[in-house]
Amino acid sequence: MLFWTLLPLALAAQSGDEFFEKKIRPVLVEKCYACHGSKTAAPMGGLRVDSAEGLRKGGDTGPAVVPKEPEKSLLLKAIRYSDLNLRMPPTGKLTDGQIADFEEWIRQGAADPRAATAQAPAARQGIDWAEARKHWAFRPIRKPAVPEGPSPVDAFLSAKGMKLSPAADKRVWLRRVTFDLTGLPPTRAEIAEYLGDTSGGADRKVVERLLASPQYGERWARHWLDLVRFAETNGHEFDNDKLDAWRYRDYVIRAFNEDVPYTQFVKEHLAGDLLAARVSKDGAHLESPLGTSWMWFGEVLNSATDSVKSRADMVDNQIDVMGKTFLGLTTACARCHDHKFDPIPTADYYGLAGIFHSTYVREAVIDSPQRAAQIATVSRRFPSPAKTPAAAVVTPREGDVIFESEWTATGQAFGPAPGGVFDSRAAGSDQFVGSLTSRKFKMPKLWVHVRMGGSAQDKANLRVTVVADDHKSEHFYTSGKPGMEWKTLRMTKEIGRTCYFEIVDRSRSGHIAVERIVLSDSETPPRVETEGSGRAMAISGGFAQPEPTVPESAFGMIAKEEDPHDVKLHIRGSHQNLGAEVPRHFLQLIAGEKQPPIERGSGRLELAGWVAAESNPLMARVMVNRIWKHHFGQGIVRSADNFGKLGDAPSDPALLDYLAAEFGERGWSVKQMHRLIVLSAAYRRADFPVRRLEAEAIRDSVLAVSGRLDKTLYGPGVTPHISRYQEGRGKPASGPLDGNARRSLYIQVRRNFLTPMFLAFDYPLPVSTMGARGSSTVPSQALMMMNNEFVAGQARLWARRAIASESDTAKRVDSLFEEAYGRVAEDWERQESLRFLTARPGGEEQAWTDLCHVLFNSTEFVYVR
Amino acid sequence: MYGNGMTRRQMLARAANGFGGLALLAAETKAPHFPAKAKSVIFLFMDGGPSQMDTFDPKPRLTRDAGQPLPFKPPTTVFNISDKIFGSPFTFRKHGQSGADVSDLFPHVAGCADDLCIVRSMVADHSEHTAANYFIHSGSGFQGRPSMGAWITYGLGSASDNLPGFIVLESGLIPPGGVDCFGSGFLPASFQGTVMRNTAHPIADLEPLDKEPALQKGKLDLLAKLNRGVVERFGQVSEIDATIRNYELAFRMQSEVPDLLDFSKESEATKKLYGLDEEITSEFGRECLIARRLVERGVRFVELLSPARKGIDRWDQHGSLEDGHRVNAKSTDKPIAALLRDLKARGMLDRTLVVWGGEFGRTPCAQFPDGGYVKRVGRDHNPFGFTMWMAGGGVKGGMTHGATDEFGYFAVENKVHMHDLHATMLHLLGMDHKRLTYRYSGRDMRLTDVHGNVVKEILA
Repeated sequence: MLFWTLLPLALAAQSGDEFFEKKIRPVLVEKCYACHGSKTAAPMGGLRVDSAEGLRKGGDTGPAVVPKEPEKSLLLKAIRYSDLNLRMPPTGKLTDGQIADFEEWIRQGAADPRAATAQAPAARQGIDWAEARKHWAFRPIRKPAVPEGPSPVDAFLSAKGMKLSPAADKRVWLRRVTFDLTGLPPTRAEIAEYLGDTSGGADRKVVERLLASPQYGERWARHWLDLVRFAETNGHEFDNDKLDAWRYRDYVIRAFNEDVPYTQFVKEHLAGDLLAARVSKDGAHLESPLGTSWMWFGEVLNSATDSVKSRADMVDNQIDVMGKTFLGLTTACARCHDHKFDPIPTADYYGLAGIFHSTYVREAVIDSPQRAAQIATVSRRFPSPAKTPAAAVVTPREGDVIFESEWTATGQAFGPAPGGVFDSRAAGSDQFVGSLTSRKFKMPKLWVHVRMGGSAQDKANLRVTVVADDHKSEHFYTSGKPGMEWKTLRMTKEIGRTCYFEIVDRSRSGHIAVERIVLSDSETPPRVETEGSGRAMAISGGFAQPEPTVPESAFGMIAKEEDPHDVKLHIRGSHQNLGAEVPRHFLQLIAGEKQPPIERGSGRLELAGWVAAESNPLMARVMVNRIWKHHFGQGIVRSADNFGKLGDAPSDPALLDYLAAEFGERGWSVKQMHRLIVLSAAYRRADFPVRRLEAEAIRDSVLAVSGRLDKTLYGPGVTPHISRYQEGRGKPASGPLDGNARRSLYIQVRRNFLTPMFLAFDYPLPVSTMGARGSSTVPSQALMMMNNEFVAGQARLWARRAIASESDTAKRVDSLFEEAYGRVAEDWERQESLRFLTARPGGEEQAWTDLCHVLFNSTEFVYVR
Repeated sequence: MYGNGMTRRQMLARAANGFGGLALLAAETKAPHFPAKAKSVIFLFMDGGPSQMDTFDPKPRLTRDAGQPLPFKPPTTVFNISDKIFGSPFTFRKHGQSGADVSDLFPHVAGCADDLCIVRSMVADHSEHTAANYFIHSGSGFQGRPSMGAWITYGLGSASDNLPGFIVLESGLIPPGGVDCFGSGFLPASFQGTVMRNTAHPIADLEPLDKEPALQKGKLDLLAKLNRGVVERFGQVSEIDATIRNYELAFRMQSEVPDLLDFSKESEATKKLYGLDEEITSEFGRECLIARRLVERGVRFVELLSPARKGIDRWDQHGSLEDGHRVNAKSTDKPIAALLRDLKARGMLDRTLVVWGGEFGRTPCAQFPDGGYVKRVGRDHNPFGFTMWMAGGGVKGGMTHGATDEFGYFAVENKVHMHDLHATMLHLLGMDHKRLTYRYSGRDMRLTDVHGNVVKEILA
């Protein structure tokens, strides 16, 4: 009773219930019920405050009110606004008087007369897996009996009641199949060869020729790049480069051209660095690790103030892309809550998240064992340094930490056992390249001092890089001054983040030497007590002359395993609201409710096994549907990236399963699937859906027809052309207007400077999986085709070529029509064209340029039927 | 739920993305969800983040405690350099009948105080420019979501026959994040913002290649004949039809845009009002005048970007705040006031919503000279409480809504989250932000994601 005397007089005179009715309930009703009432289907944070029970039980983070314990009551903490991350009501703080009332009310026992009529939030219901797996897409693939018919594909379609219209004209079929398989129009010679082939197997010969052409891989690689949101810069303020992203693009081209079995291709995407290595056909480098580059094509914040969140966002994007690309599942929907429609509990999301959180990117030399041996052989011809140089002696001050780590070496520049001073001439020449990667650590200090030296060089090639949360954040560059010097950078953005150092030498004519890294509270570097002997190494001279040539190495942006760990469930997706730790595991829907624990490594190896398991029906169904979609304009399942409940049902389930089963039986060969489809009567029919070409195919066709197309394969991307209408930070110096006439997939994908012509024709932003591009109609398309200097310039080249190669004007007109549209000009078209030519001023070349320009602009140029 | 439950809007969107897309370009207006106050929006985007405590939110405590550390631990900021208080170098006065506080940075806008609805309690989610720019434009901090101009044009259609519904005017400065700030994301490309440069050559590829109209006409005539042949050969395909008609719209744009930029019929008084006769105001003055002319032509959403001033990095004054803010204010103050007065005089302000603000505000702390980052005192980024204002289009004029704490750091009263602003803007345009949806990635996407409340208190 002593207790009571401490209370304000007014309250002492009231019963607890009265106090509640007067002071507490009105505030709850006005400020809280809208989001935390039982009328909301899903109250925020799982908390309902419209019943006594709701308050006491609380939400996702625990009880909101603990009677008599104000300091343990989250409600009070929230309304006091004392915690940056828990402030309620969100629209503004209650008055001091109201907060005091709540405190008193709780201290008094939180009397709450409200009947427990309000429903408690529905208890999380377990998933009935047997029921969930009945959804058509999750059922095992059963190969249906093939109905009677000329070809299996046609048999299924006619069994569905589709009447096959007559076969299309041979020229129409040739244009269709050539664009589909190579993204380019058929040449006049190819048309003539096909029309003249009466051997009976002409169609098949065409298909084999197209599948064997390197342009096939380029065409289908671009489709694939849409799925993995391929990009070569980070976006955000400075749009920094993602080094070696292009190596992945080339890897995909080669994979399609070499018809790498799809299961292998998928496995390499998830764990290519951990599998038995697949070596490139030329024997030079490892292919399989390059598959893992896709994980880092997302956008990167350049100055995250919340690194935990930015890493969680990166992992979310990886899970999103993985789920849609390989499984046709919107897995990332389960980040904040159990998936609302598909059987993907939040726990499965965080099981996957742990796998990606245990995976890091690294810049590594990916030479094949053969290539590494060749390099080692050459290195023996150089005199080796007398002894490992000693590092400078530095006495740490208070607040200094001398950085020590195990380092992982790739390439041979830093020698077989780097130590003392890291010097990239340890193998005896500037020609050697390589990288050293430190262990991860949490950046503890605001300043980093690096004692280093090395050649004056193109910046990107010789550097010490601080990688923060998988993002190359700061660089220390060599200056070319003789000897060693301190370099200092402020870790404004990096302090507290998960970091590691990379020491990189990508230069074949320079080197870098690093003898000390000091993490410090001080802006000035510590004093050097005794100079190291690394100095001698950092100045040039003393090597064999002339030097033997060291074979080339390749770098890749590849995955690395370190510190595998499980992550905690993020309640409502918030990294500031953590639940129980979730063991790393795969979707129970596919891998089952009982999965063996992941004991070693990140779990990517297991992940690869699960996704690419032949028993996983989604892997095959999703991929054969993609192949079908790119041939027919629309998938058997229209929602190519979503096979879940909200996706579309297959228009022909038997056909889909037939194709999926064939895919497996034919060794997961994508080329076999093309053969099956494009040689069918359905693919040959006359009333085929009309499709607009993709942005890249339009540009490539312009170049092909003009005769300017450069069919060179592979290599670093061409800098995009930047017009005077493109502005912004990170703007690169403009590349050539015609992109050096390379195919469009070689134009660098700079996130903040995507090519306007591509954007006008529905090029997807590199943000997430895009299995079905739009095909919209906007004025900039017409303006570009009519007025853009690139298109006009190509029209002129085309005209010149036509004039030079054909003297008869009527025949010349015919050649233009055949090159552009794959068909013969009709009489009236020829006459109209000739009439047009005579009406144009400015001479022969100008007149023909104008005609070519009109032919580019006809709808027939950009549509295929 | 999916097949049959597809809304009319989704049907239209699907259609626009594949078939007959032109319908949406050539002045097809769509009915709003309920009667609208505003028909158009002019968004004055103050790229870089103007400081609230130096513009519309006076904080005497900062002057009093200048140089002292903040009495609480502030959140991590981008530069994370200092917690020392920096008093505003500007003077505040009360203006208009409403007595709105406006600093001496904006003498002209202050004269329109009774038309302004000043929201001092804006809250956003991101401290970094690019993420914050995506957020204020699209309601998401990531690349790839539709910009609000795209959403609004998608929801209401264009009311112009000859111009796109969403136009961005720039004077040489594109905000961090690039043109994706004005993208259509997963909406059809027909809703993406068309960026017009504030020069005699405003749109890429707009000028006819053929210098004489007759020469272009000759090409278009032959093209029309060839296209008729295509229709015969391919059959009546709506996509082909749309593509053909798209050329007609492009052709009309070629003549409409020069007409738009021809100020010869504007009075000298109008030109003077917008400051076209003064070097410092002429650039943004032109943007503001073009904005009015665009709205007159039925364009739905016009966004004006900050002018590029030599040596001044947008409104992003980490250093030399006093000088930088003065130049920025001087180059925009008179044109903005002119726009408000001109719209009002023409009876257009009631149906045009004008929105002013940046992607975030700034901290009360000084960014002192440090490590060579900053030469003179400035302020860091602050998304936790900042000021934006609106005028016309159905908002209450002469009103100040919400408040920050006494340091101007956090919004504490009547917070208006960016999602709430978006919801309110859509509401004023006659749309329920929860019903303006587009099916993508397995769910019905919204400008406001799963958030947003209409701020009823500021509706007229």
